[in-house]
Amino acid sequence: METKRGWLGLMAVLSLVLSGCGQETKITRVDAGVVTDLSGRWNDTDSRMVAETMVKEALGYPWLGNFTQGKHRQPVVVVGTILNSSHEHISIQTFVTDLERELTNSQKVTFVAGKGERDELRTERKEQAMYAREDTQKAPGKELGADYMMKGTISTILDEAEGTKAVFYQIDLQMVDLESNAKVWYGQKKIKKVIEKKRTIF
Amino acid sequence: MRRSVVSSLFPLSFLAVGLLLLTACGPSINRYALIEQHLLAGDAKQADAIVQQAESSYGSKSRVLYGMDRGMTLQLAGDYRQSSAVLEQAEEDVERLYTRSIRSETAAFLTNDNALPYEGEAYEQVLLNVMKALNYAVQGQWQESLVEARRIDHRLNVLSDKAKEITVYKDDGFARYLTGILYEATGDVNNAFIAYRKAYEAYEAMSGWARTPVPGQLRADLLRTSEALQLTAEFEEYRRLFPDQAWQSREAVQHLAQVVLVSYNGRAPRKEDRFLDLPISLDALQLVLLNRGLSHPSRHQNRGVDTVLYGLNGHVVRVALPQLIPQKTRVTGEQLMLRDDSGRHISARSELGQNITALAEKSLSDRLPGMTVKALARAAAKFAMAEGATRGAQQAAGKDAAPLVGLLVGLLTKGLAVASEEADKRSWQTLPDEIHLTRVWAAPGQYQMSVQLAGGGANAANTPGRALALAPGQTTIVIQRVMQ
Repeated sequence: METKRGWLGLMAVLSLVLSGCGQETKITRVDAGVVTDLSGRWNDTDSRMVAETMVKEALGYPWLGNFTQGKHRQPVVVVGTILNSSHEHISIQTFVTDLERELTNSQKVTFVAGKGERDELRTERKEQAMYAREDTQKAPGKELGADYMMKGTISTILDEAEGTKAVFYQIDLQMVDLESNAKVWYGQKKIKKVIEKKRTIF
Repeated sequence: MRRSVVSSLFPLSFLAVGLLLLTACGPSINRYALIEQHLLAGDAKQADAIVQQAESSYGSKSRVLYGMDRGMTLQLAGDYRQSSAVLEQAEEDVERLYTRSIRSETAAFLTNDNALPYEGEAYEQVLLNVMKALNYAVQGQWQESLVEARRIDHRLNVLSDKAKEITVYKDDGFARYLTGILYEATGDVNNAFIAYRKAYEAYEAMSGWARTPVPGQLRADLLRTSEALQLTAEFEEYRRLFPDQAWQSREAVQHLAQVVLVSYNGRAPRKEDRFLDLPISLDALQLVLLNRGLSHPSRHQNRGVDTVLYGLNGHVVRVALPQLIPQKTRVTGEQLMLRDDSGRHISARSELGQNITALAEKSLSDRLPGMTVKALARAAAKFAMAEGATRGAQQAAGKDAAPLVGLLVGLLTKGLAVASEEADKRSWQTLPDEIHLTRVWAAPGQYQMSVQLAGGGANAANTPGRALALAPGQTTIVIQRVMQ
């Protein structure tokens, strides 16, 4: 009886050794607003939250009121370069899109297309001039020139030891007057994440 | 009695199946011969196809190794975007493997280290980022390549913090040097200077074992960037250290175009088993001495014979340790030549940037004491388990059948212990033996680039030429693979 148990034990150990090759995949649909911090890296939640907070902050400062009162119209804003100076391959385009969405939806500024998009639009106008019906063609030289450019950087500071990593993100955005180069607003948002990895699991 | 023998033999069949399964887990070496054959023929796409087809044979425990090999062959095939994606996945897997699974560790303790997931040597992990940085730089995605430069710095800082001994691999002159080139290519002279300085210090610190002298070009880079930043004290110090070094100021080169040739030469060392057969009785000693001696390299055809002989004897404990087999390049250097339309030419000679064989040797020698202790403990545990199983089976079989059952169970369990002993021979084998760097500045314009290989005997040849259009201030990175 005891020997049988011994064999069973050995078989159990061997089956443990030989198992462990299978991997489960489970997919669950969640709301896009749900915070999903899986790896500790920059994610959609960071991008969205930073864009919302910073655009709200930018539009709450006096430069907007001063411009509107002085020129009797909304300022025209374009998003310039957001430089990635971090340790991660951040999708800057997603962040720029989040900023553009917040600026447009605020209804407090007029937002115009950025450099990349402008090229496409200009090509389209050129093609219209050649191929579209005359009464539907859009003429060149009628673009709205921006008054301000929003630009900035995303940088990180990393600290790591013994499986614990602290990631400090600093997002600096500034609104620059395109005529005078004066910086009318400077915003900063900081995010700190601590990622702890277990050394052993079963 | 008959029933008893049959019931005792049942688990043996289970063990035999286990033995078969365990022996199938070893890494396949033959694919590397095929990959090298295609790389030698200059067909990197076919080499990549072989790695891709072999994906399942790498197994779940060698996902990182697959990523490393695939990332390298994709880079050589010119698919830089996919190469970066695969290497990124490998890097994420390395991070995930920080957490060790007790189940895998137990399995490795009962069989061999191939049951552990491969996370790569420290220098291989750094090279993951180096390869990605090169992928982005070749595509002109400088900001993305700088992300990798920052990761290299962070990885090396963590490594340095972790290393308690001064002589272990904890910094990397070549990786630091490459980050300096990337920073300078984007106009960030300050960070470039810091990277060059760290590269110089790392090359000096590694000089005892890395067999890589400080590249002369790095000395020129230190002089150029320290002067450009008006760091007078540092500049004077470097002038004193490198009195004969020729260099050009940043003012003189900033409107020129730069070509950086990264040449992967030769093949990284491979690993083989080195067996230590330890007899624990006098007749076992005689058997071992008559058979192959106490220590011998692995021969695939001998393993079956050893398993049966030592299984029958029952008093031989086998320990397997990896040993490196260098595959040195015969190419001693390259001469890069840029020829413009009017026939004028500029040439520069390459310098050794990284000796990967030396890194592999250092890495293995640093880990060998720990590996030996673990292998001995494993061998002792396996022997004790086999002995226990044999005695248990003998008792269960009864007095009459005990000798036969003991012989059979001993043969299987002790044979299993010998057969399952195998060193972890996994390594990033698609890496080269050496990485050479050549930097040259030229006036903007159209050029025909050619590379002449030095050394390599009768097989030394020029690599195929290619046209380059160089713009002012632009840096162009070119990667070439030389298998000789």
